[in-house]
Amino acid sequence: MTNKISAIAVFILMASLLFSCKKYLDSDQYFKDRLTLDKSFNNVQYIEEWLANSYSYLTGVNADVASKGYEPFNFSDDIYYGDRDVDFDIKEEGQLSYNAFSLGNYHENDKQDSWTQCYQGIRSASIFIYNIDASTVINDEQKADYKAQARFVRAYYYWLLLRKYGPIPIIPDEGADYTKSYDELALPRSSYEACAEYIGHEMVLAAKDLPQSRGQLEIARPTKGAALATRAKVFLYAASPLMNGGKGSMDFKNQLLDDQGNPLLGITYDEEKWARAAAAAKDVMNLGVYALYVAPFTNSGTLTHPATIAPPYNAEFSDKPWPDGWANIDPYQSYRALFDGELSASENPELIFTRGKNQSTEGINVMVVHQLPRIASGWNTHGMTLKQCDAYYMNDGSDVPGMDQEYGRGNGSQRVGGFVTDEDVAEGKYKPLLSGVSLQFANREPRFYASVGFNGSLWDLTNESEERNREQQVFYYRGSGNGYTNTMFWLRTGIGIKKYVNPQDTYENGDLNKVVPKYEPAIRYADILLEYTEALNELTGSYSIPSWDSAQTYTVARTTEEMRKGLRPVRIRAGVPDFSDAVYSSNTALRKAIKRERQVELMGEQERYYDLRRWDDAATELALPIYGYNVLMTSDQRDLFHQPVAAFALQSTFAPKMYFWPISLTELQRDKRLTQNPGWLTYNN
Amino acid sequence: MKQALMRKTFIFFLLIFTSIAAFSQGKIEVSGKITDGETGEPLSGVSVSVINSAGLGTFSSKEGDFSIKVELYHKLLFSYIGYDTVEVLIKDQNALNIKLQKSVIKAMDEVVVTAVGPQKKINVTGAITSVDMDDLRKSAATASVVNTLAGNVPGIMAMQTSGQPGKDISNFWIRGISTFGASNGALILIDGFERDINEVNIDDIKSFSILKDASATAMYGSKGANGVVLITTKHGTIGKTTINAKVESSYNTRTITPEFVDGNTYANLINEAQITRNKPAIYSPVELQILKEGLDPDLYPNVDWSKQLLKDGAYTKNANLNLSGGGTTARYFVSGSYLDEDGMYKTDDQLAKDYNTNADYQKWTYRLNTDVSVTKTTVLKLGVSGSLTKRNSPGLGDDDVWGELFGYTAIRTPITYSNGYVPAVGTGNQTNPWVAATQTGYNENWQNNIQTNVTLDQDFNFITKGLTFEGSFGYDTYNTSAIQRHKWPEQWKAERYRDQDGNLVFIHQTDPSVLTQSSSSDGSRREFLIAMLNYNRAIQDHHLGLDLKYTQESTTFTQNLGDDIKKGIAKRNQGIAGRASYNWKNKYFVDFNFGYTGSENFAVGHQYGFFPAVSGAWNISEERFIKNNLPWINLFKVRYSYGRVGNDNLGDNRFPYLYTIADGKGGYDWAEFGNDKNYGGLGYSQVASPYVTWEMATKQDIGLDLSLLNNDISLTVDAFKDERTGIYMDRNFLPAYIGLTSTPSANVGAVKSMGVDGNITLKHQFNKVNVTLRGNITLSKNEVLDRDEQESVYPYQMQKGYRVDQTRGLIALGLFKDYDDIRNSPTQTFGSYQPGDIKYKDVNGDGVIDDNDIVAVGSTSTPNLIYGMGASASWKGFDISVLFQGAGKSSFFIYGKTVYAFSEGEWGNILKNMVDNRWISADISGDPATENPNAPYPRLSYNGNDNNFRNSTYWLRNGAYLRIKNMDIGYTLPKEMLNKIHLSSLRIYCIGTNLITWAPFKLWDPETIDPRGETYPLIKSFTLGLTVNL
Repeated sequence: MTNKISAIAVFILMASLLFSCKKYLDSDQYFKDRLTLDKSFNNVQYIEEWLANSYSYLTGVNADVASKGYEPFNFSDDIYYGDRDVDFDIKEEGQLSYNAFSLGNYHENDKQDSWTQCYQGIRSASIFIYNIDASTVINDEQKADYKAQARFVRAYYYWLLLRKYGPIPIIPDEGADYTKSYDELALPRSSYEACAEYIGHEMVLAAKDLPQSRGQLEIARPTKGAALATRAKVFLYAASPLMNGGKGSMDFKNQLLDDQGNPLLGITYDEEKWARAAAAAKDVMNLGVYALYVAPFTNSGTLTHPATIAPPYNAEFSDKPWPDGWANIDPYQSYRALFDGELSASENPELIFTRGKNQSTEGINVMVVHQLPRIASGWNTHGMTLKQCDAYYMNDGSDVPGMDQEYGRGNGSQRVGGFVTDEDVAEGKYKPLLSGVSLQFANREPRFYASVGFNGSLWDLTNESEERNREQQVFYYRGSGNGYTNTMFWLRTGIGIKKYVNPQDTYENGDLNKVVPKYEPAIRYADILLEYTEALNELTGSYSIPSWDSAQTYTVARTTEEMRKGLRPVRIRAGVPDFSDAVYSSNTALRKAIKRERQVELMGEQERYYDLRRWDDAATELALPIYGYNVLMTSDQRDLFHQPVAAFALQSTFAPKMYFWPISLTELQRDKRLTQNPGWLTYNN
Repeated sequence: MKQALMRKTFIFFLLIFTSIAAFSQGKIEVSGKITDGETGEPLSGVSVSVINSAGLGTFSSKEGDFSIKVELYHKLLFSYIGYDTVEVLIKDQNALNIKLQKSVIKAMDEVVVTAVGPQKKINVTGAITSVDMDDLRKSAATASVVNTLAGNVPGIMAMQTSGQPGKDISNFWIRGISTFGASNGALILIDGFERDINEVNIDDIKSFSILKDASATAMYGSKGANGVVLITTKHGTIGKTTINAKVESSYNTRTITPEFVDGNTYANLINEAQITRNKPAIYSPVELQILKEGLDPDLYPNVDWSKQLLKDGAYTKNANLNLSGGGTTARYFVSGSYLDEDGMYKTDDQLAKDYNTNADYQKWTYRLNTDVSVTKTTVLKLGVSGSLTKRNSPGLGDDDVWGELFGYTAIRTPITYSNGYVPAVGTGNQTNPWVAATQTGYNENWQNNIQTNVTLDQDFNFITKGLTFEGSFGYDTYNTSAIQRHKWPEQWKAERYRDQDGNLVFIHQTDPSVLTQSSSSDGSRREFLIAMLNYNRAIQDHHLGLDLKYTQESTTFTQNLGDDIKKGIAKRNQGIAGRASYNWKNKYFVDFNFGYTGSENFAVGHQYGFFPAVSGAWNISEERFIKNNLPWINLFKVRYSYGRVGNDNLGDNRFPYLYTIADGKGGYDWAEFGNDKNYGGLGYSQVASPYVTWEMATKQDIGLDLSLLNNDISLTVDAFKDERTGIYMDRNFLPAYIGLTSTPSANVGAVKSMGVDGNITLKHQFNKVNVTLRGNITLSKNEVLDRDEQESVYPYQMQKGYRVDQTRGLIALGLFKDYDDIRNSPTQTFGSYQPGDIKYKDVNGDGVIDDNDIVAVGSTSTPNLIYGMGASASWKGFDISVLFQGAGKSSFFIYGKTVYAFSEGEWGNILKNMVDNRWISADISGDPATENPNAPYPRLSYNGNDNNFRNSTYWLRNGAYLRIKNMDIGYTLPKEMLNKIHLSSLRIYCIGTNLITWAPFKLWDPETIDPRGETYPLIKSFTLGLTVNL
């Protein structure tokens, strides 16, 4: 009897063990209070934080305008940096000096953080895009905006990659499935055209739900215009010679292939790409949101905001008010205030996209600190090349005498000699020059004075605590304190940079708070305007291109009237006459004019490095030696100082491999299908 | 062999109990005498019991007489350890003289413990090694069973890396390392439950089995891939109370103590290191003279720090007492043990009364196993065991002490300055060794662990013959606590000059510190449940076995959990396992085993896995043609098994399928300057790895069991192959464009390992001398087939295709002969070099020696070959045995401040070995012969030499060794003498451990594979012991 009872008991025990313990391994009950994806998208604060994280990868190395630590690309044949050079300080070993950068002496694994960071941003944004729809805590309108923002930022990362590396792999929309094997994960590079199409398409999707404008507290979020402007830039790049049949770079194009041997850049020229680019720029213009910023004409000035120096009389522009002329504006202040922090982002009608306050440790304020002269405790290492200095027009729109004569491509004129005298100053001649300044800097266009720290220019430095340290005229003669020294901190060309410098700015006691905060001009309306003209100028036929929202169809063709819509406002705002009809009628003359206009207008905005490449001009322009003033001369030898010489401390060259940044060897090692840019090592050679 | 018999007796009892009891027909008294069937000597203490009558029973007297009342037609059972049991049916006889025959262990009867309990060895188709515990116990003076395994047990690779009391437990692997995953260690089960092997005292072990192949381990499913160790502890058997006592006392010295040069030699060498690199000498001739003569012990001391720090030897005391016995109702086994190991550090006599700064270790263990026969067919077993350990170390910790001893040179400072100041050259591990060992306080580490298990055995013979049930529940707690009490004196360092008045100029190194305290603790508890049904039945020639087993277990950490909620969740496993075996006439065997096991660590849907194994064997010796023609073959069996086993141990990585979303990532500020609308960033701080699961081992084993000439020769050899796939790894080489900011993991690695293990025993009796020779070998080799790594230009730089943990370095071609040699050789990029510096091979032929020339050299630091050879002989009461143990196929780099002479300037002693074995410039020695390009030490340098001091074959050492692991001589007193003092046996013995070591590497004990040598050396010991049985 007991046997049977115990037998039954044992079997019941066994059976109940098997059934009751079915859930023995479950752990879900412990994890239900953890933050899940679902929960994080159903909490307003968390949603903002997800989105903020998706944006956060835009900062640091992914800035559009930043100091060289993050953006050496901001420095080309226009401006340079003299520090971070092991030749001057052994502690700088491993840093990318300007010469290393401009000679192509960098390596496959240098400056690769932006690749990593962009793709991390792409993943973060993809997660956001894929999960925000299910959220129930925000209304549909907000949801659409948020999703569009994530879409914008994701496409923007692709744009940053495309610009730097050329064609890149496009990740599946939902994000790459990292649980797959390395072989399955391997992605090839998409063609430039496919990348541009993808970004353009995504930006249109984003633009649909983005608002036209944002308030003061939302200034760093993109708008419709930001999406469309990025699209316009991408299309312009895709139409440019390097990507679109340009002859100079054909050898290079034939080598830039995907893993199947297909060319990634456009081998055959397609003019319609220009039409598409022009239409995309027009989309931005037609939004009606943006205008060039102008500051009003003023008769009475202060130290920091002097009275308007009106350009020489021009019958066409001097009498008419903005936008038809410059009668009622101050061109110098109009241009300067865009960059020096005086104008807040929301006050600036020209600012299409900015990272606002998110500028990391190499922000524009840090750039300014490197522009400031030694007497303002600045680093005195960011300077301008003579080529850039010469590119600025005279105030009547003519070329400066002696321009480019060192390159043998001047107009035969000679540089002027002589210096501003005290009498000149007393008579009010050569404004705004002070006494002792070379006449080479006299009568230049307003943007020159807002951009160039020429020898003997005035630095206001009003944030200096001691009165006596403000209002300094800075010369770069050897022995002057700001000139050549036996350190790293001198201007290799004797020409400084004023753009971005606020009259208040100084670096007294190494205090960054003495530098007025500045907005990053990531995309500026002037850029879009110039792009419009540039694209139109390349057309020979007429094209019908639908607008971004397909609401209308543009007829795009090369007409002077349309082309003036882009170039003319930029010229007038700068106080220089628009080009003549003769120039407009010539495709080549206008192309040259536009390129120079971009060089001048967009100096220091990270455009020149990429423009030279996409134009196929890098091979000629970057191979030229860099000239500057003779910095070894003392103030007693000021005539000699102002006779340009090749800047002995700066070097430059160009090889086709420098069209695009190399892809890191590590990345190539990890993705079998990834192909290297021509001229760079792959990991197995 | 004894336990085999006990096991047999036990099974026999079970069978007897279950047979249907005859109806009683009245009682009679039966009496008689029990004698040895061979010698006729009376046997005392023989258990006499009535089958199927709980509680009735008696023992024979000293003269062998017994008397018992018994009902008619009941059976009497006579049992005695070492003798075959006898059953007698009582009909009407009153007098009964019984002759017991000594039991002879036949190969056929040997029993091994398997996953489903004891099984006859003959039936086993898998690779299982059953260890003879008597051999192990006899040959080692240690309380730790692990330290006895190397060289004794085929299939075990073991390595002892420290000799420090309490930290001297060997690492071991079954059949070597076959994975680079988080765990390559075996699953250890004590009485069926996963427990710490150090929790069981060697004297409490009844059986010790190593399950090696898939057929033996499949039932452990996802936990069995690295092999399984099964330990069962002793239980009481029916009989008079027996008492066993063991007392041992050992004197421990060191196998090899690294030897350093004296101050004078050191100073001359340091000068040479400078001069030979065209730098000024550090010690002037005058200073050298002062040093040599010992004229200024403050500034030019010459201290032998080893002598200051280390005693010549230390003592270990070890005692063990156990009692067992019982009747048919209840049996018991009780044991207690005490171990006290002294460390080798000298202590400060003044402090000795207050606290202990030595590296001492004490351990107390106890065990109680009680078996109660609740009904005729039900046995309830209760087991309780536990341990308490206490380990001491000097305040700065053990590792620092050795670092200091290796670092602090003889001429650095005196022990104390003449004014009583305490010297130090720095802080932390640059304290002087004497201070470090005695003046910096002490650490105490406590552990107390308790294991409890309750088991119910139920015999279901009444349902069907051969059906049994066993259910067990276990509950363990493990707790450790550490207390650090630190202090240090005010310390000074004298400048190497005196002031104008001739006084020492002191630099203050540290302020004094009073005793400070910190503590930490850790703990866990484990719960186990096992239920098992066994069915074994023989019907004519068909032998069938079916087993079904349910297990669940959980481990919960109870302390020191941190803030990750995952660590607070119990680790759990659950599984059903089964076995079906069949054999025909004990000739043809087929087994099917499976485990269906799950782990909580994986995502739902990936938690459970099925692990099958099939195996078969053919016992050729049962075939008629062998039986008829070759009767001297006792056993000739071939086995083969194939199956899969898993390894679900991911280390501390809990729930990899979970992701973690957290803020703290990069955020963004939307507002203009002057406003604030800043959001922190939220995102995955850890992405999920949803498909992570166990690694899978596909194992094959082919084996041969042979027994010849009346079992005088027995041999077992196995060849095995283990293909491990799905080894859990972080995926560190995902392309950046995936965009992850954390690293996922996956089952991506694969390793193939192959090898052989086997043992042979030869026995013979020459007149009255019994001689046994035994040998065993374990050899394995593995190869990484796949792992998470990125493509490399040089295939030889990938881990794929090489051993797990392959040592890698440059290939050294000796030393540069002269500058011509340098000019004609590829450029070496590590730093400047001269003649006498190491010359490397340009492996990739690119004309430059750099890290791309690093290749696989040597093998691995863990040995891939372990072997043992033993011999024993006994004559009358004397027995002697010796065990040689060796290891091979291992190599390791040496480096560090003593190997790389003067690499850390004046911090680092110089090994005596270097004095006569280095390259010396002829300019210094005046003898061109000293510019020996094959010298084992390169041209000296001061403050490091990047060219010479890097891993290369120059510094690669062979880890092979052979040693006399044990040698013991014992004497067992004759029975006649013992009977007078009421003892049943008494043996006194002497054991020597690690007596002699032969090894190509001589600087320190090669078994430690310490590249720096800065560990507590292994112990050479002499033990005197006494065992008494009552």
